[in-house]
Amino acid sequence: MTDCVFCKIIAGEIPSRTVYEDDQVVAFWDAHPTAPTHILIVPRKHVPTLNDLEEGDPILCHMAEVAKRIAANLEAARNGYRFFINVGPEGGQVIFHLHAHLMAGNDFGMMIIKSSIAIAILLRKIKKWIFGK
Amino acid sequence: MTPPEHECLFCDIVQGRKSADVVYSDEHVVAFWDIRPARPIHILIVPREHIATLNDVPEDNHILSRIGQAAVKVAQKFGVADVGYRIFVNVNRGGGQVIFHLHTHLVADKPG
Repeated sequence: MTDCVFCKIIAGEIPSRTVYEDDQVVAFWDAHPTAPTHILIVPRKHVPTLNDLEEGDPILCHMAEVAKRIAANLEAARNGYRFFINVGPEGGQVIFHLHAHLMAGNDFGMMIIKSSIAIAILLRKIKKWIFGK
Repeated sequence: MTPPEHECLFCDIVQGRKSADVVYSDEHVVAFWDIRPARPIHILIVPREHIATLNDVPEDNHILSRIGQAAVKVAQKFGVADVGYRIFVNVNRGGGQVIFHLHTHLVADKPG
């Protein structure tokens, strides 16, 4: 695809900070990271979205395997990470070349715990305000 | 293969010992509503085989591709395949994983 930014990165026409590559995928740092570790894993072949993968295509297995290898070598990802794919405009997909995000360093587990505690405290305050002591 | 003494909520659901609101199933995966949905559509896609985390999937195992295929079918069933959805896997506690049976979240807003 001549006007696809990921195809251009893969072809070396646009620079990127590559962390891994093989004959099937290239992985590089997201240019606009939203976590301390934010890496994109991109198949070399141009497939617009997850919906367009042919039944039986094993590329998703390989993308996940690459995510595992990258995470194992990155200190920030050793405690855990998130592997996700955005599909379509309302799914947050911006570049229409299938890609997976590997994100780490935000301690998603602690985020869940902290937000649960914050919600519980807020609900207790609201209840107190409405019903008194 | 799940050892007999193994205790896992998702194994119990997959094997029918505990109930869940199942939306899709095939020989490899079962998909059901998350009991605490974080979005209007929040489905969990779970392999029938017990694999603790994404890190434990053997290199030659094709379960991720089967999960991806199931995700597309679930998205089509809910009418969000073209509009958009997200699939994600939390890996280990630091990644937000709570139940240690590999599972993929599919989240989306209601279409229209």
